[in-house]
Amino acid sequence: MKQTTGTLVVKLVVLAIAAVLLFAPFLFQNVRSVEVAARICIFIVLVASYDLLIGYTGIVSFAHTMFFGFGAYGAAIFLKDMGPGWWPVALGAVGGVVVSLIMATAIGLLSLRVKAIFFAMITLAAASVVLVLVSQLSQLTGGEDGITYKAPDLFKPATKLLVDGNGKVVKLFGVSLNGKVAAYYFVYLSCLVLFLLMLRFVRSPLGTVLEAIRENEARAEAIGYRVVAYRTFIFCLSATIASLVGTVYAVWLKYTGPDTSLSFDIMIDILLMVVIGGMGTMWGAVIGAVLLVLAQYYLRDLMGAASEALSGVPVLPELLAADRWLFWLGIIFILLVYFFPKGIAGTAMQAGARR
Amino acid sequence: MTSPSLVTQDLTIRFGGHVAVNQVSCAFRPGELTVIVGPNGAGKTTYFNLISGQLKATSGTVTKDGTDITQMSPSARAGHGIGRAFQLTNLFPQLTVLENIRLAVQARSGDGWRMLRPVSRFRGLTEKAEHFLEATRLTSLAHQKAANLPHGDQRKLEVALLMAMEPDIYMFDEPTAGMSLDHAPDVLELIHQIKADPTKTVLLVEHKMDVVRALADRIIVLHNGELLADGNPAEVMSSQIVRDVYLGTSEGME
Repeated sequence: MKQTTGTLVVKLVVLAIAAVLLFAPFLFQNVRSVEVAARICIFIVLVASYDLLIGYTGIVSFAHTMFFGFGAYGAAIFLKDMGPGWWPVALGAVGGVVVSLIMATAIGLLSLRVKAIFFAMITLAAASVVLVLVSQLSQLTGGEDGITYKAPDLFKPATKLLVDGNGKVVKLFGVSLNGKVAAYYFVYLSCLVLFLLMLRFVRSPLGTVLEAIRENEARAEAIGYRVVAYRTFIFCLSATIASLVGTVYAVWLKYTGPDTSLSFDIMIDILLMVVIGGMGTMWGAVIGAVLLVLAQYYLRDLMGAASEALSGVPVLPELLAADRWLFWLGIIFILLVYFFPKGIAGTAMQAGARR
Repeated sequence: MTSPSLVTQDLTIRFGGHVAVNQVSCAFRPGELTVIVGPNGAGKTTYFNLISGQLKATSGTVTKDGTDITQMSPSARAGHGIGRAFQLTNLFPQLTVLENIRLAVQARSGDGWRMLRPVSRFRGLTEKAEHFLEATRLTSLAHQKAANLPHGDQRKLEVALLMAMEPDIYMFDEPTAGMSLDHAPDVLELIHQIKADPTKTVLLVEHKMDVVRALADRIIVLHNGELLADGNPAEVMSSQIVRDVYLGTSEGME
């Protein structure tokens, strides 16, 4: 289909987001903002890899955080055991991917033949089992407390990336080029590479087969595509990407616990992001992740400020009290789904005249 | 006579106590167009499903060029050259007409696992898809979503999908059902072209007697899941038993 003006707008917005994220450490010079920017990068990839399943192929899985967790715990366990360095990160990444592939292949081959709802149930069961195991095997995983460890030396705040004549760290636009900046760009570039890779996948012949399976599984099979093989493959591919980005997140956070990588809260966040952004577009993942992460971090502050500004008015300050941010997030979510049934990107891309 | 490309031997399927297709043995040869007729519920579509793999036989075998395909999945059978168009329109609704056909071309070319280059770079696939669009006179609709096409054009796309698979065995299940009079000749002309190729075997389920008469080299009659008659059109259509069970009265012939 020819591009619509809406598609163009969506692409420009995504490009602008990529640019803002690229310069985030210089644009927002405080720790919390950079934290938010890194989390956005991570979730864009995590949501996009989930979109490969739900949006492109029509597979509903609740085990996506499980794969994310395998990658995170892989890095965490090796970094804790072997101390900071690149080897433990690499071993953790490989280990996470191997475990993810074994689980994904097992779940895929055992159950992709069954109806979608049973498949979703099986992924839910697998994810629950892993969550319980992780909290029980505290020798290995640190249980509910998680694992704290050091990132590779390059990412230490004391690391000087560039030094001037006096041996002092060089500042660019008032930002010290230290290890914290290096860590952010490690996250940014890893996520960019993974996202671009997924963009390539969905535009390839393979991507068209996935859409065919979503649209009409029986006919895809009838014209000669082995649907079970394709579904198992994309489930494994999506799991691999989730695991890799889990490793990246673990290196960035220097802490891994159930709440940061495995919990169902994250699974729900992923679902919200993919629905808000728009399924089956890739761009939707970017928009959904940005909006929800920003809302989670700043809606509270914004409402607190609004509540204070309106302190003279009756009722309103109460309604807008910072503690009610989840309530308002819920209302915003319902309105978004109502007015953008195909997600923000999906609805926008249909709008506007065909060029 | 050429050796048969497709053979069903004692092909049977049971749904609980109901025998939908009962011991149907039949051989189909290249260069021959066989029309399958029979009243509603006779088992024609079920017979098709057994050949193309949507259903698996309870007993009996299906062989294609000597290979036993009875236990194969539909995709494996497609790989063995069995192509099928469906009675109820069965497309990829949210994809464009061109994308629909390119999928069938791509299934045949085996490029479905390529994942690092954009599909638009595979010029050969698109060109071939465009060729089939032209052959089915759908070129002007190439960038429309399949779901937005009028019924007649959806039926044509259904046929185009089958043609783009380039199978050895073409199976049409009432290809002109629900089509307006100006669309039906297009589809019949396409079937004529396929029939002209001596290497292709065509199976056609059809009710309209003028279509049957115009196309059939051979007619088989199914009734209650059993093979009732098999022979050249004139023979079968004039046999008393066929008139009795299928046509009821001879008026249906006209």
